[in-house]
Amino acid sequence: MGHHHVTSADIAINGDHLDPSKVSKVKTAAMVIAAIGTLVSIYLLFVGSEKTRGTYAYSWLFAFYFFLTLSIGGCFWTLLHNVSNSGWGTSVRRTFENLGSTYPWMFLFGIPLLFPQVQQYLYEWMNIHREAHGSVKEHLHHADHLLYNKYWFMNLPFWYARVIFWGVGLSLVIIGLRKLSTAQDTDPNPGTARLFKARFHSTYTLIIFALTITFTGFDFMMGLDYKWFSTMWGVYLFSGSALNSMAVIILVCAWLKSQGHLKHVTTGEHFHIMGKLLFAFTVFWAYISFSQFFLIWYAGITEETSYFLIRNTGNWNTAMIFLVFGHFVFPFVILLQAWLKKNPKALSIMAAYTLVMHVLDHYLISIPERGISLGNIKPGVFGEIQPAIPGAFWGDILAFVTIGSAFIFFLLRAIGQHSLYPNRDPRILESANLSN
Amino acid sequence: MSTTRKRVYGYLAEFKSASALYKAAEKVRDAGFRKWDCYSPYPIHGLDGAMGMKRSILPWFVFFGGITGTATAFTLAYTTQVVIYPTVVQAKPANIFSVPAFFPVMFELTILFSGFTVLFGLLGLIQLPRLNHPLFASKQFHRATDDAFFIAIEARDPKFSPNQTKELLSSIGGENIELVEEED
Repeated sequence: MGHHHVTSADIAINGDHLDPSKVSKVKTAAMVIAAIGTLVSIYLLFVGSEKTRGTYAYSWLFAFYFFLTLSIGGCFWTLLHNVSNSGWGTSVRRTFENLGSTYPWMFLFGIPLLFPQVQQYLYEWMNIHREAHGSVKEHLHHADHLLYNKYWFMNLPFWYARVIFWGVGLSLVIIGLRKLSTAQDTDPNPGTARLFKARFHSTYTLIIFALTITFTGFDFMMGLDYKWFSTMWGVYLFSGSALNSMAVIILVCAWLKSQGHLKHVTTGEHFHIMGKLLFAFTVFWAYISFSQFFLIWYAGITEETSYFLIRNTGNWNTAMIFLVFGHFVFPFVILLQAWLKKNPKALSIMAAYTLVMHVLDHYLISIPERGISLGNIKPGVFGEIQPAIPGAFWGDILAFVTIGSAFIFFLLRAIGQHSLYPNRDPRILESANLSN
Repeated sequence: MSTTRKRVYGYLAEFKSASALYKAAEKVRDAGFRKWDCYSPYPIHGLDGAMGMKRSILPWFVFFGGITGTATAFTLAYTTQVVIYPTVVQAKPANIFSVPAFFPVMFELTILFSGFTVLFGLLGLIQLPRLNHPLFASKQFHRATDDAFFIAIEARDPKFSPNQTKELLSSIGGENIELVEEED
């Protein structure tokens, strides 16, 4: 008790910078793996045998969207911190921004999904649209009445326009907010102008964030089965995104602290709050994912149940039941403890565990569709409809390692670019002396 | 008329501000007193730490209260809808796999039982409700709900001494120091 009261004398006047040599090896390794992996992936997606092209498209989508949720979550925490006029997190806010700033880069990994060669294995509705000679709408009127009714939303020009907007919109938001924040670090007269500006601009841009997390989920994931829909889909993906980006933030902050950074400005109190957010979103994820299941299970409507029918078949069922305990019950009970949340090391273990569960969650979101869709599109190549395509698993690992390495590279790059905390923010002392 | 011998409750000292109270509490804590308390019109952040208070046992009560709620709800729903009177709704199974239908009830009873344990556990631990408190005998104490900050050190504390405790309180900034005697 009675810990040292942090004053402006404790704040590094020119900021707290990461020594580039400390991470240069990891960064280079991550970049090399990502570059080689990307080249191999381009081969597998566009040149390889049709069987690998088809199965690897799903691997790529899974890995792409998994890491995209982490980046989107970084944007979310930045926006939320600004818009809620928070003081507690000023000393960790730069980590929010750094994580969010990986978004433009991570979105680039979605470029393969813009090519019809890849789309043909993922999105059956696009195939039906592309079959049309002349008017698509006229074609759909006869070919598939459901797609005819959904045409106003599910049509190729609008799909491409939306995807470009998701990529550009949130990128501009996070780049702008991060610039505003980092410009403060070197300003001889920092003042409060940037704080209020960030708060103001975070209000309406929060809407862009909400649209992005919801509709990237619709356009990339829900579109895998155009007959299926869930009104909870967007909020379901959001809950996982907010939860696991907080896990990444905790890991980064704990790592920086163990390297002797963020000294004086972060204490167990900050980890306590971040741990509480991790706990809160563990519960929120469970609440939302159960609500989605419950509504669909109770109503028993054919178009809606397909999602869970596929995932309750064969070994997917074991994984889904494991998710209930592994993603909710276990972390819920563990994270109830206050001491654990105040201890950066113990909390990091839980954050890493949460991320592993997020991998499983997203694997179950994207991959079970593969055997069904591919068996539907080309049974001659991929075999009849089946729960899983043998051997396709290795592609999932390759895609995950590739995009994961790129994620690590861009995150470390962002961390090394600026001071590790906003050292001239007017609220830095308030945050450093946090007690909750 | 007989002479009345009143029991001494302890010393009551007033402090100027919340921060003065906080700093004084740290000194009383460091002096090793156990039976004492702070009184303030509003909650003061971190005062529990300044007073050296141990973590409450209440969370454990609530944890087990919550578990009891979950178990009660599950048993209630499972026994009635699966064991005694299997209820088939929309061709859904009446076995352990109908458990999702019980989740809302399990959730609600977990919350309800936790809430009850919080309320009644708290009342038990702080020994409320009670009809009277010895400090009510003090003429100035009512200001603890208005504009004054107090520390009271009880006479039953082993470290209590009529002179030294009074000196301690005045040395750490206590004013209007008063020896409170219990009313008959």
